[in-house]
Amino acid sequence: MADDGVLDEGTETAALREVLAAEHAAVWGYGAVGAALPPDAREPVVAGDVAHRDVRDRLVALLDARGAEPVPREAGYTLPFPVLSPVDAAALAVVLEEGVSAAWVRLLDQATEPSVRELAVEELGAAEVRAVGWRAAAGRTPVTSAFPGLPR
Amino acid sequence: MASLAPPAPAGLPRRAFLAASAGLALLAAGCTAGSSGAPAVSTEEADRLAGQVAVQEAVVAAYAVATTADPALALSDLPLSDLAAQAGEQLDRLRAAAPSSTSSPSASSPAPPSPPPGGDVRTWLREQVAGAAASHAAACVQQTGARAALLGAVAAGLRGHEAALA
Repeated sequence: MADDGVLDEGTETAALREVLAAEHAAVWGYGAVGAALPPDAREPVVAGDVAHRDVRDRLVALLDARGAEPVPREAGYTLPFPVLSPVDAAALAVVLEEGVSAAWVRLLDQATEPSVRELAVEELGAAEVRAVGWRAAAGRTPVTSAFPGLPR
Repeated sequence: MASLAPPAPAGLPRRAFLAASAGLALLAAGCTAGSSGAPAVSTEEADRLAGQVAVQEAVVAAYAVATTADPALALSDLPLSDLAAQAGEQLDRLRAAAPSSTSSPSASSPAPPSPPPGGDVRTWLREQVAGAAASHAAACVQQTGARAALLGAVAAGLRGHEAALA
């Protein structure tokens, strides 16, 4: 909910921009994930990278269509921890997917258009499915989350 | 440089979900939108949310039935107890957000599901979970604010269960 409780196109657009920022970060981060994995283990990295690039491009088009300036990608990002092993790489991918999940849930909270919520809930589910695989690869338990993207 | 970690300050205002979880958001629906500054919740929206409680009750029942029907499932590498516990947490949050459903939760519950005799219990369970995820996602699109966010998160959580059960 907006801080003043009112939802409108402005709150929705602001939340869309936050999702785009998270997707930029995910695209960048998947490069670091792939670099820490052997070539024969990169299939889920490619799939995740492609998915995030696709949705990034959809968000840019959506923001363009409503006359809102898309958020540019940052010049660089700071890794939350050193990524030196396959387990580190999987843990980073979990961070990336959980980051975009939080942004999608924020959008669900702020959106006014059903079509935007439809996009958000679909992509939130896709991010959680990827996160399940990465949590397993990182040795996390449980591998699932009851409420992906919601504040804990 | 920007951090890759989820930006907590830009996340959802936690109070919105605490309010929804406590049922306060829907209780406030009786107030006018102008008096509280929050959008009013229509009866239709409240009914839809209560309907999703019944959907989630069926998921919880399906986990219980699956464990009974195929005890080997609980002994496999499948984290069935974790999944069942999460389904229960989801049900609790949905009930809290839909106070009209909490007075007599069993009244609206569908008949307990059961796997087909001799069928693959794991596949059956995954189908139950997938159906509920789709139902919550569809309901999410028709809701707004914290209710949409809660239903979307529950739908995504069940999609994760579906992946874990694959």
